[in-house]
Amino acid sequence: MNDAIKIRILQGDPIVHDVRNASFPSRYRGLPVFADKECPPGCNKCVEVCPTGAISLNPLKIDLGLCVFCPLCQETCPEKIIRFTDDYHVAAYPRERLIVGRNTKSIKPEAASEKIRKYFGKSLKLRQVSAGGCNGCELELTALSNVNFDLGRYGIEFTASPRHADGIVITGPITKNMTAALSLCYEAVPHPKIIILFGTCAISGGIFKDSEQIDRKFLNDNKIDLYIPGCPPNPLTFMCGLLDWLDR
Amino acid sequence: MKTLEVQNSQIFDKSAISFLKRNVFQQTVADELAGGGRMIALTPVDKSNPEKIVAVIAHNASSMIHIIGGKFENGKYEFESWAKEFPQTNYFECELSENYGYLPVNHPWLRPVRKQNIILGGKPYPFYNIEGDEVHEVAVGPIHAGVIEPGHFRFQCHGELVYNLEINLGYQHRGVEALFLKSNPAQRIILAESTAGDTTIGHTFAYCRAMESLSHTNLSLRAETIRMMAAEMERTAMHLTGLGGVSNDIGFALASSSYGRLRTLVINSLALICGSRYGRGLFVCGGVRFDVNEEIISQYKENLNVVLNDVRQINEYLFSSIGAVSRFEDTGAVDKKLAQSMGLVGQAARSCGLEEDVRIHFPYGAYRYNPVSMITLSSGDVFARARLRDLEMVEALCFVLDQADHLPAGELRIEPAAPAADSGVVSMVEGWRGEIAHLAFTDVNGELTNYKIKDPSFNNWYGLSLALRQTAISDFPLCNKSFDLSYAGHDL
Repeated sequence: MNDAIKIRILQGDPIVHDVRNASFPSRYRGLPVFADKECPPGCNKCVEVCPTGAISLNPLKIDLGLCVFCPLCQETCPEKIIRFTDDYHVAAYPRERLIVGRNTKSIKPEAASEKIRKYFGKSLKLRQVSAGGCNGCELELTALSNVNFDLGRYGIEFTASPRHADGIVITGPITKNMTAALSLCYEAVPHPKIIILFGTCAISGGIFKDSEQIDRKFLNDNKIDLYIPGCPPNPLTFMCGLLDWLDR
Repeated sequence: MKTLEVQNSQIFDKSAISFLKRNVFQQTVADELAGGGRMIALTPVDKSNPEKIVAVIAHNASSMIHIIGGKFENGKYEFESWAKEFPQTNYFECELSENYGYLPVNHPWLRPVRKQNIILGGKPYPFYNIEGDEVHEVAVGPIHAGVIEPGHFRFQCHGELVYNLEINLGYQHRGVEALFLKSNPAQRIILAESTAGDTTIGHTFAYCRAMESLSHTNLSLRAETIRMMAAEMERTAMHLTGLGGVSNDIGFALASSSYGRLRTLVINSLALICGSRYGRGLFVCGGVRFDVNEEIISQYKENLNVVLNDVRQINEYLFSSIGAVSRFEDTGAVDKKLAQSMGLVGQAARSCGLEEDVRIHFPYGAYRYNPVSMITLSSGDVFARARLRDLEMVEALCFVLDQADHLPAGELRIEPAAPAADSGVVSMVEGWRGEIAHLAFTDVNGELTNYKIKDPSFNNWYGLSLALRQTAISDFPLCNKSFDLSYAGHDL
């Protein structure tokens, strides 16, 4: 008993209290920003090195739905125009908000409809489906339930059965071999229901987008409600994104 | 010379492999296995022309890797299976058969590795089944109750006891190896990082070493040491995750929440160095991307000292609890001989008393100058697998803290040259689960012709089946968590 109390005391108070203003290590790569100078004429070095084709020029834009936050563009840019900041608020809806341009100062999802907020605003149960996820995103989603993040304090939890869920969180690029199970799982969730895409692979296929083993038809057939970019996204990105979306 | 002998991540000329005729190839491989060798790959040299294959056999005793070539002409892709005598080769043969149409004659149990005929239509795959009074079948997955990766499990039970567990994977198959051949170097490193996201550092380590050997690039000791520290941090973090998992599966909330908190500290310390909690972006071919400075080292040491202090007390608390130990002991035990014959690796093997550790048998990078100790336990049950992780984690923490004080100076990264033409390399590292092997072959232009990845999960999934025999089905989650295997790493 004494040992148990000792160990409980060791735990201290590890929870992140202010989830919207947490401090991140300076090398963390979140929202990219662009320095206020022109790209040298004809330079396309960032486009060439980007492993997932996330960058376009004239005007310069980075699609966070494709970006794997690898810093190659930041490292390569001869004018040091691209810089990843520690701003972890990158969840978005609609999809276009993930495209960062020169005028983008911050990213925030559009609030959900009144109906959705009324249904799920205070209690949201989610079923996670890994469809080719490498276990990076899965580990970050699991971390949401630990003592540091404690997602449950907002009434948001992961359920075992889709029957008990209000929506699904998809991780991974959606492999051919998971398409049937993914559809079955989504069908099993009662209406109204939502779909959240967690991680770059889920949003765009990421580094796997050109693989023959991927089948992303499910996403064309169903409405997506929230995009959480990252490789993998930080648990706080997910938390803040959901809270913003639910307008809480 | 029938076999080519190389060291871990030593570049070799493709022409040094002699491609033997079928009968000689079969016999040579059988002799190698009989001599205590362990198969780590069975794959073609050129993915688009599978008539020349290599069997790669590792010998712990001599620290050498033997490569035996075989040539199968006129489309007659048949050889006599070794699996009856050496069960460790059975899954490698299944894989070769599935990917390239080879037929291992007299294979005891040719079955799908990643193909999902059951789901995609076509011929239904007959699961192994048992008939009799009160025998019943339980099917679980691919989607499981928790936030984990997908896989299908088919249990044949008699009452509560499991007679047989068949594990059917492939749901995560993303075509990683095929993408390696199509991609440029900037993409390949992201692929390596994403091969198994819980072993980002392990797989990237193996990939970088393979590419550096192919281009004759030597790293500074500073870069090598930072890499080694990162690898041991990953080991610590995932062992904490695993111990949290087994504690959770027995309802030991205090331990599981404590391990969760400490893991956060460890992976956040990794993020101090490279910005990512999983070590993404740290490794580049030719070194590491980020250096550590005084400020990072002091923060890092402060965090890890907290972890080391707390984890010792929590481990002591968990492993002295009668309730916990009685759930761990004799649950899902795997016999040492069986584990050896099935070719288990890494922590699953060490918990059965087998001495298997790439860091010791095939030392690489900074492990050549900083030896680690071989930790084994003998009981092969959940207790051994959990306790081993506790011991390894404490050792890894002490090791990393010690290294942080003695970081050598040197270049952080060197621009690697282009890969050599017509060459090959076998790169092995010890990930937190066990032996990771990456094989690369190049053509006349130095372009990859085949890139083969073997995650330790490929060897160890069958260990879980063995552990479940005559174990209560209600202990499955606990056994599964104690093995803690990768689906993505297996499915590729």
